[in-house]
Amino acid sequence: MSEAITNPVPAAARTEVIDRADRLRPSPRRGLGLAAATVAALLVAALLAVVIGSVAIPPGAVLALVLERLTGLRSAVAYPPAYATILFDIRLPRVTLMALTGAALAAAGASYQGLFRNPLADPYLVGVAAGAGLGATLALVFNLPSTFVGLSAVPISAFVGALLTVGLVVLSARVGGSMPISTTLLAGVAIGSFASAFTTFIMLRSPDGLRRSFNWMLGGYAGGGWDPVLIILPYLVVGMAAVQLNARALNVLQLDEEQARQLGINVDRVKLVLVVAATLMTAAVVAFGGLIGFVGLIVPHSLRLLGGPDYRRLIPLSAIGGAAFLILADLVARTVVAPQELPVGVVTAIAGAPFFVFLLRRLKRSVF
Amino acid sequence: MLRQPRHWMMTFALAACLVLAGCASPATVALTGTPVPPATVTAPAATQAAPAATAAAPVTATTAASTSTAAPTATLPPPTATTAATTAASGPITLTDSLGRVVTLAAPAQHVVTLAPSNTEILYALGAGSVLAGRDDFSDYPPEVTQVPSIGNESPHVNAEAIVALHPDLVLAAGITSPDDVAQLAKLGLTVYATSNAANLDDIYKDIQAVGVLVGKMDAASKLVASMQDQVAAVKAKTASVTTHPVVYYELDATDPSKPWTAGPGSFVDQLITLSGGTNAGDIAKDQYAQISLEQLVSQNPDIIVLGSATFGGQTPAMVAARPGWQSIKAVKNNMVFAFDDNLVSRPGPRIIVGLEKLAALIHPELFK
Amino acid sequence: MSSLELISLAAGYGPRPILRDVSLSVAGGEVLALAGPNGAGKSTLIRVISGVLPATAGQARLDGADLLRLPAGQRARRVAVVPQMIHLPDAYTVGEIVLMGRSPHLGLWSGESRHDCEVAWGAMRATHVEELSERRVGELSGGEQQRVVLARALAQEPQVLLLDEPTAHLDLKHQVGVLELVRGLAQERNLIVLMTLHDLNQAALYADRVALLQQGQIVAQGSANDVFRSELLSRVYGVPVTVSRHPLRDVPVVLPDGK
Repeated sequence: MSEAITNPVPAAARTEVIDRADRLRPSPRRGLGLAAATVAALLVAALLAVVIGSVAIPPGAVLALVLERLTGLRSAVAYPPAYATILFDIRLPRVTLMALTGAALAAAGASYQGLFRNPLADPYLVGVAAGAGLGATLALVFNLPSTFVGLSAVPISAFVGALLTVGLVVLSARVGGSMPISTTLLAGVAIGSFASAFTTFIMLRSPDGLRRSFNWMLGGYAGGGWDPVLIILPYLVVGMAAVQLNARALNVLQLDEEQARQLGINVDRVKLVLVVAATLMTAAVVAFGGLIGFVGLIVPHSLRLLGGPDYRRLIPLSAIGGAAFLILADLVARTVVAPQELPVGVVTAIAGAPFFVFLLRRLKRSVF
Repeated sequence: MLRQPRHWMMTFALAACLVLAGCASPATVALTGTPVPPATVTAPAATQAAPAATAAAPVTATTAASTSTAAPTATLPPPTATTAATTAASGPITLTDSLGRVVTLAAPAQHVVTLAPSNTEILYALGAGSVLAGRDDFSDYPPEVTQVPSIGNESPHVNAEAIVALHPDLVLAAGITSPDDVAQLAKLGLTVYATSNAANLDDIYKDIQAVGVLVGKMDAASKLVASMQDQVAAVKAKTASVTTHPVVYYELDATDPSKPWTAGPGSFVDQLITLSGGTNAGDIAKDQYAQISLEQLVSQNPDIIVLGSATFGGQTPAMVAARPGWQSIKAVKNNMVFAFDDNLVSRPGPRIIVGLEKLAALIHPELFK
Repeated sequence: MSSLELISLAAGYGPRPILRDVSLSVAGGEVLALAGPNGAGKSTLIRVISGVLPATAGQARLDGADLLRLPAGQRARRVAVVPQMIHLPDAYTVGEIVLMGRSPHLGLWSGESRHDCEVAWGAMRATHVEELSERRVGELSGGEQQRVVLARALAQEPQVLLLDEPTAHLDLKHQVGVLELVRGLAQERNLIVLMTLHDLNQAALYADRVALLQQGQIVAQGSANDVFRSELLSRVYGVPVTVSRHPLRDVPVVLPDGK
């Protein structure tokens, strides 16, 4: 048992030492401020997205209808029945799904940036996008039938495709018990490229499949009511929990791997858990929402700039911020050229390009 | 507060429990609600002979389901005779659409949203343009259609909100509408009928008949189909006796002039060219929608080039003449390159006959003035 | 009395053996300098003791316990390393980096407690970086960064402190500063200190004992006076050297012949 000899300090000065020692912990006030602001942003975004749409439903009507559903109290004004359908069967599920998708992509993006120690890492890095695209395209082109649970084949196929591809990447990259980061990256690029090439080939064989597959990849809300939300939720909860549990280890991992091992971190297990958790979350939301880009990059970087690099805070903040961001992006996508809807990925990309320029200029002061 | 991982963990766990409990609780059940119930069939056996296609067709009309006898399927009366069917202005309607879905309406539709230009044109050709409440962005014929509200186009997904807001009693999806979109709209309580992914003229006739039933214009539908068949027969009669079958190259897309896209064997354009007494240069391809290399095209040496690519690609005969390597083609040398409205042959609706006649006039101008 | 004993330790990368039959013993409060030419295996030995590289033969015992069989977390509570190449992630503060040294003492579910912060603070005071606690490590000089890493190592509350070329990349003032600091800490906290050094004269001045490593084997160990002999050093390093006396201290001074 080691003897921790602290310098003997007189009692009066001891409080001063303790106070200063406490300052080592992340400042609660600063942390709280940012957390509150992010949560507020999410609530405002959700509110706006529910109220605004290609069909104008006044906020009063929204409140009245929600109250009516929850409490059974009929409102004084009789609103057109279309309002209720739009609100409860289209808009609320849509906003919720966008929130979950944004949360998953941002949290997974932050994890990958930490795991690969690379600011350009995004949730699609190790083959999720390519695998999901292949799965979805196969389902669309070969018209795989609807399965039980009333789900169409596309989300299931996309999900399975993503998991299989990442599984293949991880297996290829494992050397002994460990998964070297550079090897994983290369395997991800190689296997991902193969899957993408195969996808393109299949797409070109069928013009109808080409159009539908392209639509799928553009990403966005594909309908389905509350089912996608309920299906995605468990994956999100489990994935976020696993990532958050390993957030402190992820901090230590930012030193090189050897130092992390010398500090007692089980580096191989942490890497595997993070890859699996992030992949599960990403695959689940991509299955229903297509390939929405930039969320996993913009949101974690912005929050890192504002709140520091500590992953214990960055992961949850990214989730909340990602939810808000994607809700807003989807709102823009469905209102700016109504009744035509833009693909959400286009809106996030338009937001992303200037962001990157901004980030490059800010990197003078390194934030990683 | 919330500094320690365990605090975050507990917060997550709590949130997860709340969500899961909420999902199970009546509150959320009430919040998610049930979709508006679809327009149901109320009754009973109408004995009118709803005009129907032959049993093998994807569209089968049956009388209302409450009868215990097997649904009688009347065959389509021969085109020259008028049907004895009543112009059913009332009474329940049940059809099976091209996706195999059973579609029921209490009465002929009065408020229709179309998701493709072909169905829009069918409605107007049946004289039912007044029931159109909403249309997709690509619908542009007849010109007055642009006054009807648009619900966007279907890329990347159909705009369910806009459609629901128009509260249609019928949504006419088309073969190009994704089945997932159809399912989504049905789930919202809308009545959706999907016309077929027409592969030939017979499919189009069946779709027209089906739309006729749905909007209560069966007479007009039969007349329209009859007149279309007459026109086709007329073209066939004239081309029956031709001795030459000019090679025709129909261009769909020429973004890459060394490998343009053309209509392959079995496609609509291919069928129309054959009906017009021509030979499709694209029939050496393997798919209905295929690329043909310039070399193959040169060896086919088409007599006539029809630029469907004029509509969506802005190609002109002058541009074709300027393409490197194209000058040796007969059609280019003889100035037999024509711009063409691709919409006439790509929309499986009544105007396909117009497209046929125009193609025939290009291929055998001596027969068709 | 705590002690670290290496008994016939052997290790290598793949088929190539780097260390063969290394036996050493270091006591608590003692500083052992490990010297030898490039490629002799000094860094490899650090890696083996810290558990990053598995040993192919032999044992390492800390107070009798088998160090090499311990799970990584428990080993990290006993052995701390200050590596040669210090790559710190720029955006973290000094405080956050030093607190990382408490990792081996924290479970999966817990964050840093008040006690952890006190230990970290004590470590920062010991290496005189407490004033820098809020600064981002990317903004610090090389010497400051090294003291931060040393503080992190001390925050682990180890029994054994391993340093790999602690004076590389530092100017003279900071070299002396680090060496004096390490020697002081070894005595204050009864640490077992093993450090690799290129500079033989620094080894002579600041280490209690020296071990000379050549091609993976210990060719001599003992006090500097005993180990630094000109024929031995000339043979081991392959250049002629002459050994003289430090004018102020009772330690040898090694100088190249210069011919």
